Amino acid sequence: MDVFAELKKIIEELLDLEDREITPETLLIQDLGAESIDLLELAVTINSRFKIAVKDDEIFLTRFRLYSTEANQQGKDAVQYLAGRYPFLGEDRIAEIVAHIKEGPQLKIKDLISYVTYRSGGG
Amino acid sequence: MSLHFSGTRALVLGGTCELALVLAQTMIESDLFPLLTYRDDKGLNTIREALRPFHGRYETCYLNFGDRDSLDSIFTQIGDDLNFLVDFAQGNYESLIAGADEERVYSYFMENISFRAEILKRVGRAMLKKRKGRLVFVSSAAAARPNPGQGFYAAAKLASEALYRNMGLELGERGVTTVILRPGYIDAGRGRIYLQKQDRKILEMTPIKRAITGEEIAQTILFLLSDGAASINGTEISMDGGLTSGK
Repeated sequence: MDVFAELKKIIEELLDLEDREITPETLLIQDLGAESIDLLELAVTINSRFKIAVKDDEIFLTRFRLYSTEANQQGKDAVQYLAGRYPFLGEDRIAEIVAHIKEGPQLKIKDLISYVTYRSGGG
Repeated sequence: MSLHFSGTRALVLGGTCELALVLAQTMIESDLFPLLTYRDDKGLNTIREALRPFHGRYETCYLNFGDRDSLDSIFTQIGDDLNFLVDFAQGNYESLIAGADEERVYSYFMENISFRAEILKRVGRAMLKKRKGRLVFVSSAAAARPNPGQGFYAAAKLASEALYRNMGLELGERGVTTVILRPGYIDAGRGRIYLQKQDRKILEMTPIKRAITGEEIAQTILFLLSDGAASINGTEISMDGGLTSGK
């Protein structure tokens, strides 16, 4: 299954987006304006379409900033610490998020793809 | 008045209590399909006995408050095909606050509040998939006006009311709405046992001078589940004959 194409379709339906360019690099919250209720519905739909268990905190990186602070407080390497929390993300991607974290929520469509692929046993 | 419903399948928590069984009959007569929860064989038999004439028009499922595996098994059994939830489930724990057993307090709140929150999460997510669902929480007049000894019961009811209220607040725009019903003195189940222990004085305090019947509660819940009541959302309704309106 083309995970990106399927996710794109789901997001377009849920957020009622027409003729809007969505790529794996699109930011879900900052670019598309997804709100918490949209994310909740997205989690439910992903669970149902891809038949995978979805933990909302995990897939939407809800506690990313908190874990990042935790790593700093404990004098640990943030990227490694976060990689333990988010095994579906590569270290490069985690480093990228850490670098941009001050600019607001960094959740991208490609992170959802990673989660779905990982949970489907393909990661 | 004819009632219209969006869907048929109704999960009834605490499905073995007298009120739930009266409601189940009323539902079946209105072509709804109740799924009644029970927590032991005795409860299962009570349901089967009470609904004997309605074989095939209802289902039963095992649910033990506090047992998370039993919640999983319910969703395995019924899937996500759920239109309504009516929640009668409530453990009873009567004790003065200053005389309470700590262990029981912790487990009582875990079973009656935390576990309920988990049920609401699961049910809410199932209903979100359809963007449609209606939930009725049967609370109690004791939530607002408890008697001495009812502190824990009232606390659990109020906390549960808050969960239902917020669910209606959060999911209302996606078609999932909630309402809380607060019955007063009821001539059924635990209420009847309580009333039998009291003299008439307690009903004399109620403006309508009588107890509420199970049939009245069932009819009201049925209306609250119907399409016509859908805009009653995230709020509580007292059904106590006026008991809590004055002093």
